[in-house]
Order: sequence, then C-alpha cells, then structure tokens
Amino acid sequence: MMKRNKSLPLTETVYYILLSLLEPAHGYLILQKVEELSDGEVRMAAGTLYGAIENLLKLNYIHQVDSSDKRRKVYEITDLGRDILKLDFRRMQHMVSITEKQLSDKE
Amino acid sequence: MYSFGFFLDFEKEERWLNKMGKRGYLLVDKQVGIYHFRKSENIMNIKIDYRNFSKKSDYEDYLTLFEDGGWKRIVGSMKSGVQYFQRVNHEATDDIFSDEISKASRYQRLYRKHLTLLSSFLPFLVVLFMSGAINVESMLNPKSLYYTPGLWEATGFSFWRAFLFETPFALARGYLGPFLALLALLYILLSIKGLMKYHKRIKP
Repeated sequence: MMKRNKSLPLTETVYYILLSLLEPAHGYLILQKVEELSDGEVRMAAGTLYGAIENLLKLNYIHQVDSSDKRRKVYEITDLGRDILKLDFRRMQHMVSITEKQLSDKE
Repeated sequence: MYSFGFFLDFEKEERWLNKMGKRGYLLVDKQVGIYHFRKSENIMNIKIDYRNFSKKSDYEDYLTLFEDGGWKRIVGSMKSGVQYFQRVNHEATDDIFSDEISKASRYQRLYRKHLTLLSSFLPFLVVLFMSGAINVESMLNPKSLYYTPGLWEATGFSFWRAFLFETPFALARGYLGPFLALLALLYILLSIKGLMKYHKRIKP
C-alpha cells in the first residue's frame, strides 16, 4: 500500500480554499467562493483566511500571481496544491462509496 | 476622553473596548497604554488582531481584505503589532476569526515577537553584567554613584548646581543596567504568558 500523504486529510476550510483557487482570486473573492461552494455552510472570517493563505503559501499549495489590483494580492493553486486536492478528493470519494455500501448492506 | 489600560489578554481588552463602545465611546488612538476615546454613535463590535508587517504592500493587502469583509481598522500601523478593527457592515462575520485555532494564533505571534525582542536584547544584557553596570551595592548606596569630588561636603548653591548637574549621569550609571534587565525580564514574562495562552486555547 502506498504511504499516505502526511498533510491529509485537509480541513474543510483548506479544501474549499484550494478548490476556489483553481482560478486566480484575491482574498475577499476566496471568502465569497468558499461560502458559495459550501452552500453557505462555511463562512470564513477575514483574519482566519489571512492566516490560512499565509500557511498555504508556506506549504507551496498556492502562489501569488500578478494582478492589476494594487491593493489586493491575487493567488492561484500550484501543481502541488492540485495534487493534494485530488488526493483528498479520492480519500473522500472512497469514504462516501464505502459508507453507501455498508449502509445498504446493513439495511 | 483618555483612559489608561494594560492587558495581556486580547479577549479581556476586547470586552473592555466594547463596554466603552456601549457607553458611546469609540477608540480612536492608543499610545503606550493610554487609550484615546471619542464620543460616537452606533458603535459596532471591536476586535483585535496581532500582526507586524515588513512591507507596506503586505499591510495594505491585509487591511483591504478586512475592509472587504466588513471590518475597518480603527487603530494600528505596520509595526504596532496590535491591530484594532471595528465591524462596519451588518453583513460582516461576527468576529474577525471564524475558528478557535486562528483566534489563538494571535498569542503565538505575540510571544514570538517578544522572544525576538528578547534575543536582540540578551547579548547587550550580558555585556552590562560583565562590565559591572548592574551593581546592587551602588544601587543601595546612591551616593556612591556621584563622582564629583567633595560633592557631599558642599552646601547651598554650589551643592545644588553640582548635584543636579550630575544626577542624570548618576541615574544612568546606577540604574540603566537594572532597568534594561527589568525590561528583559518583562519580555520573558510576556513571552511565557503568550505561550501559555496559546496552548490553553488550542486545546479542544
């Protein structure tokens, strides 16, 4: 069995941030996208997002891209970030399918 | 209105500022423990972050993100550490943090800052000790800090002139070292306090 990546599982907020950065976005846009992608379930505050961005930059899951907006930095997911996102997606996909199976077998 | 305050706990400070807000006083400035309030109407929630910035563009990006999110900075600067925000939009989140870990990380940044200050201080302090600038004996006997010959035998005007002239030097001679040592001790205590608060708060 392949050794599991140490950064998995991602937290819900990190997962949604990475998902929203498949396209370039600045901070506030990330907040809006996360809320929208999670059906309004995940409402991040500015201070929490700022720390999360700092952390994801350090991990090299996202990087800063050029933008015309001088006051707002714009970010995008990196190849590494995309790989991690996919790994976590597959992890959850397995959980969903195995849960479905177990539940229907037991009923 | 001016008021003195000293807090090691962001939550307590926030509660105090919001209590002042309910009474109609909005924080407009803060200088070394002196809080400056001004009468204002409809004051909304005030929250505190702790961050220092080395680049102006970083600070601007940070402030813009908060502003977009409905939180306006009321007091703070690039190097001030503490950043005070007021909620200015009813759509905004209730707090500037939406989880406990990021809320506690303020304390982590605070103690790291104090540790950095301390470590830049320490070599200086060692030199002071080695050179005998911290001398308990002379602290207890301040007369020995005055070097003017015959000072204590002089009287009247000539005494006061010499005495007042030398006093700043005597104070520096005898108490600058201990003062810096005390400051270093304060940084150590502040770091430990911050570290403890951080760990207490990240525990589930």
